[in-house]
Amino acid sequence: MNKKLVNAVGVTMLAGAFLLVSHASATEEYDVKAFGPKNPIVWDKPVKVVFEHRVHTDNAGLECSSCHGDIFAMQRGVAIQTSQLTMASLAEGQFCGVCHDGDTAFASDTNCSACHIVPDDPIVWIKPAKAVVFYHKIHTDEYGLDCDSCHNDAFAMKKGLAENSDNFTMKALYNGHYCGKCHDGETAFASNTLCNTCHIGVKGYNRMMGGVPHADKKSGH
Amino acid sequence: MNIKDLEKEKNEGLDLLPSEERRKFLKIGLAVTGVFLGGSVLSLTSVKSAKGGNSDSVIPAEGQYPYTKHYGMIMRQNNCVGCEKCVEACRETNHVPVGHGAWRTTIQERLTTVDGVEKREFRPILCNHCNRPPCVRVCPTKATYKDPETGIVVMDYKKCIGCKTCMAACPYNARYFNHDKYAIDKCNFCLDTRLGMGEKETACAAACPAKVRIFGDIKDKQSEIYRLLHEPDNAIWVLRPETGALPNVFYMNA
Repeated sequence: MNKKLVNAVGVTMLAGAFLLVSHASATEEYDVKAFGPKNPIVWDKPVKVVFEHRVHTDNAGLECSSCHGDIFAMQRGVAIQTSQLTMASLAEGQFCGVCHDGDTAFASDTNCSACHIVPDDPIVWIKPAKAVVFYHKIHTDEYGLDCDSCHNDAFAMKKGLAENSDNFTMKALYNGHYCGKCHDGETAFASNTLCNTCHIGVKGYNRMMGGVPHADKKSGH
Repeated sequence: MNIKDLEKEKNEGLDLLPSEERRKFLKIGLAVTGVFLGGSVLSLTSVKSAKGGNSDSVIPAEGQYPYTKHYGMIMRQNNCVGCEKCVEACRETNHVPVGHGAWRTTIQERLTTVDGVEKREFRPILCNHCNRPPCVRVCPTKATYKDPETGIVVMDYKKCIGCKTCMAACPYNARYFNHDKYAIDKCNFCLDTRLGMGEKETACAAACPAKVRIFGDIKDKQSEIYRLLHEPDNAIWVLRPETGALPNVFYMNA
């Protein structure tokens, strides 16, 4: 009985370890046609961006040395560590911006969703009122909006700019700023209706953050 | 005694009953049928008739305000976004402790799913400062009472023995035991902390960014609360009207 159990646990652990190893090796798998890793490179900072080697080598016909050496180091993660990998530096002709200048390849201020992936998780604003949620997915997938439908007109790309502005209020929305650019009652539902579509309240926020909603839950009373 | 045995007993008749006993018996009957107290307490009649002012509305009618100033609050409920700035302002102003289920005002949340879409609704609650407050009725030491000037249900902390009977009696669960005061504490429309200092609004009403809470004297025809209460198109409701407590906190959708 005991032996059986030990065997079962052993087999499960072995299988698990195998899965883990095979998964790890898959991310590093070399692809001949891509002249590089088979799986796309995914940057999480400063925002989520995906880069496909194969599109640039097999499809566009670039050599490794076209980018590696001067623009990007071979070693993984170097570009991120410089903290210079921003849209601003791309516009100045750094990194991807060397080619993505509008002549050699599409300009870095166009075609955003070629590299950027809209996040699944909502944006949660806690100022000036706690809390308001915004889902990119709903606006892009369900309503077919593009990045430039809102960026940089209604909202700056940079995270937190709206929230830290004194003007990020319902009154500003009624005057056609921020969400109010579309949420005017014609293009989309008016900002002064359906409040709790976006407002989730303190309770909703606590639930979303997975925290204990109130201190008295801890004290055991 | 078995009820069947009781039936076999001979009727004593009324002649032998002292007149005082007969009076007491009649009084019980009148109380049960609700002749006293306008038919609300222990009422066996329809609760719909147990209204403050005019019989078919929860809103007190003209000339039916028992207090010099008659403070109340109306919530434009669908404007509430649950940000709880009111709760924070109240805690700060009235020194309401955090935890132990202590609150003078709070926000209730209801989540429903309509056609697969999650809907949420927020409702601010606080002491309803009822015209017939069950808490006042049950207090053994008269520590809680209606302030004759304002109609606010107030606490005399020195008199409170902490028996919590009022907590049980309150239909709105608007009372808590304050361990610092060692007495029951509750919303008093900021009577000591703001109204007494010349402020016109409670802390919660002042803190609300969406103008959900409209506080004022429902007797004053110039006040916004009077206007909202008497606007013909406004559907107004109160919480738990069936208790007959005649609350002074009203709800509407803006």
